[in-house]
Amino acid sequence: MNSSFFKEVILIFKFIQDLLLGIQKLIMPLKAFSWQTLIYLSVFSWGISYLAIGFIKDIIAFSGWLFLIAGTAWYTTDNPLRLPGTFMPVGALITGFLVSVFAFGHEVNVLTPKTIVFWPTIAAIITAIPEFFAGTGTTSKAAIPKLEVRQKVIILLAWSMLISCWLQFYFVIDQWLKEYPSLSAQNFLRSTFVIRLEPKSKTPQNGNIILNKMQPLIEEQIFKKPWSEVEKWLIEANQQLGNLGKGVIYKNLEKYDEQGLWGIEARVVNVKSGYRLDILTIWTGPSANTRGFYLQKSCLIQPVAAVNKPENQNAVAEIECDRTNKFFIGSPPPKQ
Amino acid sequence: MPEELSLPRILPIGAMLFETLFLLVAISIEGYVLHRWLKFDKKTSIFYALAINVFSSVFGWNIFFLVEPRLDVKLKSELIGYIFFNNFKDPGTQSTIIFLASLIFLGTFLIKFLLLKVLIITLSEIGEKEEIETSQQQKSYRIEKMQLQNTNLITTTLIANSMSYTAITLILVIRNLSIGLK
Repeated sequence: MNSSFFKEVILIFKFIQDLLLGIQKLIMPLKAFSWQTLIYLSVFSWGISYLAIGFIKDIIAFSGWLFLIAGTAWYTTDNPLRLPGTFMPVGALITGFLVSVFAFGHEVNVLTPKTIVFWPTIAAIITAIPEFFAGTGTTSKAAIPKLEVRQKVIILLAWSMLISCWLQFYFVIDQWLKEYPSLSAQNFLRSTFVIRLEPKSKTPQNGNIILNKMQPLIEEQIFKKPWSEVEKWLIEANQQLGNLGKGVIYKNLEKYDEQGLWGIEARVVNVKSGYRLDILTIWTGPSANTRGFYLQKSCLIQPVAAVNKPENQNAVAEIECDRTNKFFIGSPPPKQ
Repeated sequence: MPEELSLPRILPIGAMLFETLFLLVAISIEGYVLHRWLKFDKKTSIFYALAINVFSSVFGWNIFFLVEPRLDVKLKSELIGYIFFNNFKDPGTQSTIIFLASLIFLGTFLIKFLLLKVLIITLSEIGEKEEIETSQQQKSYRIEKMQLQNTNLITTTLIANSMSYTAITLILVIRNLSIGLK
């Protein structure tokens, strides 16, 4: 009982010792010229680069990157663990990532879309490079590999480039969602090519923005104006709103490409006490439903007697708009 | 291109799966054609078919990435509508698609032929030193043989490309029919 307990303690102790030895072997270089030295050099350069300023800092940081890339490349070609199904070592993937970050990242964003897009291609090139050198270590010389190896390299490069293209395509469609945010208010279920990971938004936000910014401008044009003038205005409401809308869209949707896809129209309906003005913002861009969609805000315009103006101008207009906008799928009602 | 990365909101899984399917179909058909007409052994012809197809689709993607930012809003919204919602707004787009498809067919045919030519040269002739020609007659015989091989290569690529396009078109037609039935 006791002896077995001791045995176990000794076993655990031995395990810890092995672990420490392994770590020591990993950290302490056996020779001065080894991959660990390069990694240390890179850490050292980074440390120094914080102390330096100006372009010297950049030069030191740059060499730090080179040391890191060379060090990892060396380490990972020493003991290759290959990706399943290919002959690409995991190490080439890591080195490729570092090279890609080094080439396309900058201080503000270490990871840019370009880094991700070029990663597979760079990793494939890094995998292929050793195949073009015969021999190992210091006695290597450039040589053209055997036919079979050449075929292998070409196939790997081809698929990696295709994966790079797919990644780029992902960034292209992601950019579409950013430039045309109203797309995300529709479902993508009919799409053959893409699936969506986030739930769809209820209403297109930019449509609401347009309507809410239009409202005070229209109120300003109608409120307290003589009734006869207002009626004249309502006859050409479509044109008036179109002009107002152009300015509003240009001002508020400046940063979106979708600004050209919104149109503004007016519908005037006779009601008992006056008129109802429907302001429509119509989406003319791509939509799941081929007839598109539109948003609507309704305003009630009525004549009231002008109290402080006793003369012949007997009535002025009053306007009251709905607080919320309605969202409709389908084509807008016909023009009058 | 944007500079920041954000969490993915949308993934082009369908595009990737369809392209893989089309590539596998095209590679197997064209591999067979190359094996049959150009008398390569099976492994080599599959290799050639794979390389020309994958590289030509990489080439096609790059053209797409070059053209896409330059499209005007109208064409771009047709493209977005097709990719996100599987429909077109403008009925005129249909004929544009047919025109583009024939252009793409010709383009891939040319690219595949050039790729095949380059691959055959780089894979077979580098490393193996050519024998020194002794007589003039042998030289002219060689040139003639190369020309013969060239026309053979063109017709074979054309046949291979047409057959794989036919197969892919059939798959698309079946898919459209099954969607229509739903």
